[in-house]
Amino acid sequence: MSIRKNHRLSRRHVLRGLGGAAIALPLLDAMRSDRAHAGPGDTPKRLIIMYTPNGTVPANFWPTGNGPDFTLSPILAPLADHKQDLLILGGLDLMSSLKGPGDAHQKGTGSCLTGMPLLEGDFAGDGGQSAGWAGGISLDQEVANHVGQHTPFASLELGVAVQDPANVGARISYRGAGQPLPPENSPYAAYQRLFGDSIADPLAVERRAARRRAVLDAVGDEHRALRDRLSGDDREKLENHLTAVEEIRDRLDEGVISFGGECQPLQQGAFMDPNLVSNMPIMGKLQMDLMAMAMACDITRVGTIMWTRSVANHVFSFVDPNITEAHHSLAHKGDEDAPKVAQNTAINAWYAEQLAYLITRLKAIPEGDGTVFDNTVILWTNEQAKGNNHSRYDMPYVLAGSAGGYFDTGRYLTRPEMPQIPHNKLLVSLLHAMDIDADSFGDPEFDAGPLSGLT
Amino acid sequence: MRKTAGSNEVSVNMREILPLLVGLIVSTISVGCQQPAPDSDEQADGESTADTESEGDGDGDGDGDELTECEATIEPGPSPIRRLTRVEYNNTIYQLLGDTSQPANAFPADEVAGSFDNQAAALVVSPLLAEQYEVAAEQLALTHAPALMDQLPACGGGAPDPDSCTADAEAFIHGFGKRAYRRPLTDDEVAVYVDLFIAGTDLGEAAYDPQVGVEVILQAMLQSPHFLYRVEFGASDLADGGEDVVPLTSYEIASRLSYLLWNTMPDASLFEAADANELQTADQIEAQARRMMDTPRAREAVKNFHRQWLGLGRIEPQIAANGKNPDIYPDYSDELLSLWRRETEAFIDDAVFEQGANVEVLFTANYTMMNKPLADFYGVTGPTTDQFERVELDPGRYAGFLTHAGLLALYAKPDRSSPIHRGKFVREILLCQSPPPPPDIVPEAPSVDENQTTRDQFLQHSADALCSGCHRLMDPLGFGFEHFDGIGRYRETEWGLAIDASGELIETDNDGPYNGAVELAAKLAASDQVKNCVATQWFQFAYGRTQTAEDSCSVEEIQADFAAADYDIKELIIALTLTDAFRYRHVIGAEENP
Repeated sequence: MSIRKNHRLSRRHVLRGLGGAAIALPLLDAMRSDRAHAGPGDTPKRLIIMYTPNGTVPANFWPTGNGPDFTLSPILAPLADHKQDLLILGGLDLMSSLKGPGDAHQKGTGSCLTGMPLLEGDFAGDGGQSAGWAGGISLDQEVANHVGQHTPFASLELGVAVQDPANVGARISYRGAGQPLPPENSPYAAYQRLFGDSIADPLAVERRAARRRAVLDAVGDEHRALRDRLSGDDREKLENHLTAVEEIRDRLDEGVISFGGECQPLQQGAFMDPNLVSNMPIMGKLQMDLMAMAMACDITRVGTIMWTRSVANHVFSFVDPNITEAHHSLAHKGDEDAPKVAQNTAINAWYAEQLAYLITRLKAIPEGDGTVFDNTVILWTNEQAKGNNHSRYDMPYVLAGSAGGYFDTGRYLTRPEMPQIPHNKLLVSLLHAMDIDADSFGDPEFDAGPLSGLT
Repeated sequence: MRKTAGSNEVSVNMREILPLLVGLIVSTISVGCQQPAPDSDEQADGESTADTESEGDGDGDGDGDELTECEATIEPGPSPIRRLTRVEYNNTIYQLLGDTSQPANAFPADEVAGSFDNQAAALVVSPLLAEQYEVAAEQLALTHAPALMDQLPACGGGAPDPDSCTADAEAFIHGFGKRAYRRPLTDDEVAVYVDLFIAGTDLGEAAYDPQVGVEVILQAMLQSPHFLYRVEFGASDLADGGEDVVPLTSYEIASRLSYLLWNTMPDASLFEAADANELQTADQIEAQARRMMDTPRAREAVKNFHRQWLGLGRIEPQIAANGKNPDIYPDYSDELLSLWRRETEAFIDDAVFEQGANVEVLFTANYTMMNKPLADFYGVTGPTTDQFERVELDPGRYAGFLTHAGLLALYAKPDRSSPIHRGKFVREILLCQSPPPPPDIVPEAPSVDENQTTRDQFLQHSADALCSGCHRLMDPLGFGFEHFDGIGRYRETEWGLAIDASGELIETDNDGPYNGAVELAAKLAASDQVKNCVATQWFQFAYGRTQTAEDSCSVEEIQADFAAADYDIKELIIALTLTDAFRYRHVIGAEENP
């Protein structure tokens, strides 16, 4: 795992060089090359994924018109300010979720970023069906494998009120088959994780880092020794654990993020319970602020924000006080139940509003001649297309941002009803947008190159 | 696609091995709709819903031949490495350091497979969890190193002699390390820690800082895989009668016993027995298990099992998330939720540990445990304080945990009872059967109607052929609870209308009609299928995995012991410590090709 190259001036060397004398913070800025202000041709691209569950209301989701001439739907209306930055993709099918073990929600969630069917396993699904974790690496982690070596964190997994139980319905990111990455629900804990060292006393940070190096070297050796004595799944488990230990260890040699320019400390306000559903609007904004700042500081270039979870039963009374029924239950109401369909529409429109907030945040961060958003693409994904029949055809995919001009945005693309188009092609297109060569991604059955007409 | 050989291996291994681990839990007994289920876009796996009751449910097959064969062969089944759960981590830290801060509460939630959070195959270590292990280890080291310095007297004072101090550190490494690793450290391991100590003394503010040396030892031990996992290699000599099978060492048995019976690390007595290698025979193991069963910590572990198996842990978050309609249930408040959970926990605890009750009594007892606020809710008299105490109930209305408000409210809707969910609970959780999945398009349930009982509203399920095929497996079990409303309180009538609480058990080992929850409970209590289901759930909880075909002898033994003890829960747990699956394992590497 020593592939990660350290281009930065190590804090350790600076401190040693200065004989451990107290250092004023402005000096520390020099310790980190500021990619946010890098010159042309050296601009990093970013991928952010936003997951919301339980399907949408297709009738109120899809725009009218097509190509560059389209009118936003009730659900997408909150994105009006960013209409020219959107690529709304009709006609894609979550085909990798139509095979393998698990119920509709499990399969939809596990395959939305992996493009793979689920493994066998004991996670209880509907009606006695069961499944294990997803069966392959997720798009964000594939991208992180290519671009993550440039940043202290290869990727950042955030959640908003992702409730237990921790199972396949509560995870979208995978390092590989059966290796889920949990999202961090608490913006406070996530902030500490990313910026804790930056806001602490530098000498204390260095002392702790020295201890961590000694400890993690010993711990890593022990994991290696044990791994070599095991076989099969146990060996894999230790191998994955070892990888995590090595990542933490390597990060110690990367220096500390220093604030400066657009990279600034966040004011998160008074502590509120991240798990309370009624706090979702505030927690969501804090998580998006953090994601935007992580990009501004070039702490990572790949992020996911998982809003709630598959089969989420959160009651969105903060969207409308008349909503008293849980989201999943609302999503199952029949098309003719107008009041409930209207409530479900309001929930999905609220999610669109959150996406608009994230876009606005990224647009507020200057980079080169433009903004960070110019070099970003956001994928808004769901695990279903339609909540009340679990359909996973015609998935409600929205791209926001061009990834440095790769995508030709400001369009609504419709596709013929047939043939079915696996969403794996979208995943391949996103790899290409991130300058990663790939002919396919996920289930080899859907080995068909990128989508046409996006660029 | 993945590009590295390493991750390809992952998928191959998981795919090949997991189906084996899944084993019998779902497939042993699954029930099929007798009428065709509607088409869905799901994969056509309707074949798996056929009755396959043949395997492993050992009632009636205790004939001598099979037992002899089981006695002659040792077959432990898989022994996957087990990561500590959050509960186990907190408990272990408490035993190890006397620390009550419950650091694991900040970790990501344990992955839940089946009903349980301790299943080896599902528990993984993500980079985030590894970081949190690090943070917790650092905090614990900072907190406890100062007091632990008492164990290194030569390191105290103004200018300690490094050689003497290191000698004390080595003794500390031996002593503390043995408890952290739950076995004596090897010489190499001790040497590594001595080096780490010496390095640590150089990393403090002072020129020579032994306390930092102790801190880094603690940090490393608490992140060691030998602490975070239950690592087992077994003894060096093969067992007679098994193919590539070794007995577990006494230290490994000590950990198995303590994590099963106590959800924590071994105590001093188990360490002593392990030091003397006296956890090898069945008698030695049984004696320890019986000693441990007789302690408060065993009661906590049994509570942990039921909290997960019956879903008691979901009562608070799930009902709070969905709420109860205040117009229909004005007496409901969120404060009731923890009382509801504690009622069932206290009842099972009292029944199992104070009354020596068997499984049947859990279903049929006509008493429960309440405190004053809960008694007020139920409208019964007796308790006058916040302490839970025994309350006798009307045996014509109530029976065991099945009529507890918490479970009935959990398996209900915000504005009404739910015969479907209650019936599904009985079918899946108590009978270990899996009804087929619902169709993708489910018609909207009728709204609450004050002119119709809930039962009448759901008659559609038996009238409509599309529904009745599967709902016949659930609704007739749930109708028995119709005298209990959406917050689990007894009702004579619904909207002033007469209640029909009759139903029928079908596709079980004790089929037949019944009327009301008390009769339903009696039929379930008399069912061998229910008892085998309890044993199956305990197997999964105890061994951190589902049953496999290789476990047939262990399962048979467990069920036979359970029956012989008249289905005493404590005896079932003892029986779980005496099987091949508990005492032996395959040689590592050999289990790849069993």
